[in-house]
Amino acid sequence: MLTYTLRRILGMLPTLLIISAVCFTVIKLQPGSFTDQYLEDPRFTKETVAAITRQLGLDQPAIVQYGRWLWGVVTRLDFGFSFASNAPVITQIGERLGWTVFVALLTLLLSWLVAVPLGIYTAFNRNGLAASVANFLGYVGLAIPDFLVALLLVSLTLRLGSSNVGGLFSPAMIDAPWSWARVGDLLAHLWIPVLAVGLEGVAGLMRQMRASMLDVLSQDYVRTARAKGAAQQTVIWRHAVRNAINPLISLAGLSLPTLISGTIVISIVMNLPTIGPLLYESLLNKDQYTALTLLMLSAVLLLIGNLLADLALAWADPRVRYS
Amino acid sequence: MMHRSTPTLLMLSALLLSGLAAAAPKKSPTYTSLGVAAGKAGGNYTLALGDSPQSFMYYGVIDNNLGLVAQQLFDGLVEFNLDTYKIEPALAESWTISPDGKVYTFKLRQGVKWSDGEAFNADDVVFTYQQLVANPEARAGDAGNFVIDGKKVEIDKVDANTVRFTLPRPSPAFLLQQRYFIMPQHQLGKFKGAEVNNAWPTNTPPAEIVGTGPFKLQSYTPGQKVGLVKNPNYWKTDAAGTKLPYLNSLDFLIIRDPQAQVASFLAGNIDQLNVTGAQFPDLKQKEVAGAAFKVIRSTALFGSPPFVAYNFDAKDPALAKLFSDTRFRKAMQLAVNRPRIIDTVYNGLASLPGHGVAPVNKAFYVNTTAQLGKFDLAAAGKALDALGIKDTDGDGVRNVSKGKNLEIDLTYGTDSSVYPPMATILQNDFKQLGVKVNLKGILSSKLLSTGLSGDYEMILHAFGDQPDPELRKPIWQPGGSLYYWHRSLQPAVDGQTPNIAKMQPWEKQIYDIFDEASTTTAAAKRKALYARWQLLFAQYLPVTPIAKPENIAAISNKYGNYIYNLGVIPGYNPVPLVYQK
Repeated sequence: MLTYTLRRILGMLPTLLIISAVCFTVIKLQPGSFTDQYLEDPRFTKETVAAITRQLGLDQPAIVQYGRWLWGVVTRLDFGFSFASNAPVITQIGERLGWTVFVALLTLLLSWLVAVPLGIYTAFNRNGLAASVANFLGYVGLAIPDFLVALLLVSLTLRLGSSNVGGLFSPAMIDAPWSWARVGDLLAHLWIPVLAVGLEGVAGLMRQMRASMLDVLSQDYVRTARAKGAAQQTVIWRHAVRNAINPLISLAGLSLPTLISGTIVISIVMNLPTIGPLLYESLLNKDQYTALTLLMLSAVLLLIGNLLADLALAWADPRVRYS
Repeated sequence: MMHRSTPTLLMLSALLLSGLAAAAPKKSPTYTSLGVAAGKAGGNYTLALGDSPQSFMYYGVIDNNLGLVAQQLFDGLVEFNLDTYKIEPALAESWTISPDGKVYTFKLRQGVKWSDGEAFNADDVVFTYQQLVANPEARAGDAGNFVIDGKKVEIDKVDANTVRFTLPRPSPAFLLQQRYFIMPQHQLGKFKGAEVNNAWPTNTPPAEIVGTGPFKLQSYTPGQKVGLVKNPNYWKTDAAGTKLPYLNSLDFLIIRDPQAQVASFLAGNIDQLNVTGAQFPDLKQKEVAGAAFKVIRSTALFGSPPFVAYNFDAKDPALAKLFSDTRFRKAMQLAVNRPRIIDTVYNGLASLPGHGVAPVNKAFYVNTTAQLGKFDLAAAGKALDALGIKDTDGDGVRNVSKGKNLEIDLTYGTDSSVYPPMATILQNDFKQLGVKVNLKGILSSKLLSTGLSGDYEMILHAFGDQPDPELRKPIWQPGGSLYYWHRSLQPAVDGQTPNIAKMQPWEKQIYDIFDEASTTTAAAKRKALYARWQLLFAQYLPVTPIAKPENIAAISNKYGNYIYNLGVIPGYNPVPLVYQK
């Protein structure tokens, strides 16, 4: 198992190298230049364009720019600097990473906690009224984009006279020290984005779980278990769920990159201090090292997520073994 | 009674006198016409910021959000009168201009202190100009303005309170430009050349970010808030002599999405917000229904009136020939339905445009409304007929030549509340005229780079108005770096003489006007020159202006002395006068 893990980790390196080269090429192929966004500023002259281009190393051939970045990463773990802020990309990401992971993990966790039991329930009570309602809500959740849900919730809270319409805190609480009041304030703001993003996740996962359960429920061993008089709880949890959960474990691994990219639109609409808008801006303005590093982070998370999913699969299912 | 004064009293009064002589705060004008009254000290005011500032070094990054914050932290040598837009003393108490218009000597305000208590003096000014503003490596400097005719402007310290600028030739707009924020040498002096761009990153301790402005930095929470507090050393008082600013603190909440900003305003999280004509009806309705805020309209000088430009150098030679023809542009102007655009796109909150100068700009504006003509498709059709642009094949679209339809791509910004409906109105009206318009949407932030690249046929765009046309010379002088509708006039090397031989006669005239006005010091003569330019502009239409939008803002009823400000306009900062009722 250990050898397998190590081999997988080593195998990631060439994959990441190829991904970085592809990402860099794509960023470079995008038309326009980083300096375009400033043209309308009266202070901006052709000399400034030349000076900035030189300072940023953009006058070098693309291959040299990429090579330097790669060399920095390999030798010093230096992921380059953000053109926009002149600061190392790592600092830029670091400033926002905490809240990003917090919001995304919370949403992920909540949607799983709701979706999996709901999926099991709807599979078992296929024709019940509650299941039909849950299914209907599931369809609705899948059909409505998360940012629209967020906007609707914002307009609802505004109508109800609340002022928690965006951000993570009330203005006065933003730089206050931690206290129970601040935690309460955070929760009062957090429910909208968590609900909006979570609803879509719940809908998808629930249907996945339900389908997987329905597959398993028609298997012989479930019928056997029931026939030999096993309790309903045992049939559900020992026989059905353990077998139905496999596809969801793989799915969980794939959802790790959403920590970065899952909340772009909602972060802008709901004004959350997360990484999403940074990625969006950097791609739009050709802030190449920021964009590249964020895309790489996303790729690393995907690879790691896959590895973790595979390992979890082996742990959950005795039939799966790697050697 | 004098003889009874004790030595202590004498000393005290002497101290007081010298103190008065040394510290000369500026008394703000009364601004009664703007509704300004004496305010009350204290309170907090919260504004919205469109994104996190990228750095706190104003000359290191071109960043509008930093500009909004920096405007409250720093001052320039001179500033605008908030009512008349005339130049007034700020950090400079007075100045003299030599008779030949080449030497500007600024006497600095005595007793001004940086927010950390250090004294402000001529070294700070010389440092700011030499190492930041005129530093070609500073990304957000303005080095181009300090090289005139290839020669550098000399900046010298005369004494601790006097600074002198020596220009190679007279430049009448020079004084107007000296609103550059002065930075503290004792904090930034160690940064040289390109290093200045790396000074004051966003994680700098707030106490190190030192300014002379009404507020000083207190805290920065990435992605959420920039907190400022009153600078007790600020050098300005209100008309009655009370120290400004009235407010104790000023917060900027970072909210990216304009809709989210409106929601935050309605929720009372932010106290003031600039809005567009499109958002006006909804907010006004709420105000009328009793909401605790006011929506204010103002015809300000600044702001960007949109125009339509036709590419004189379009890739298609037939179109290029047509677009270069003044008769064509004038014919098409008759098909631009300005009243309808003002009505439906701006909800009536716009007026007819000037030509390069805002109608409210009393110093320079000439009434050119008559030349705008009236919307008249029949007359436009006749004018096109006269040019020989007729529908020869009966398909409803006029033909440029045999078998070739008059079909124009219109480039516009999709992420805007005004460009898309405007583009549709133009498309529909032009269609009735027999001119087919294909809409080509791009990001608004890419409009200028698209214009400059020459890769368009017809474009909807806008440039900001300024108090003095000299400041907009690169835009309106043929051959200027932003005169992109006739790019073939631009010189091969920036700064050299443009391609005068290719100019149309009226373009040559405008070119000469700008050259003459930029060295003429007599105000009346400059006014006359720019008046001629506006008339030429209106007559020959290098671009076709569409409307001058009004500036609209919403302000909570909790505050008094609110004066509209567009955004980052160095030297135009009414916030110190705002007070919480």
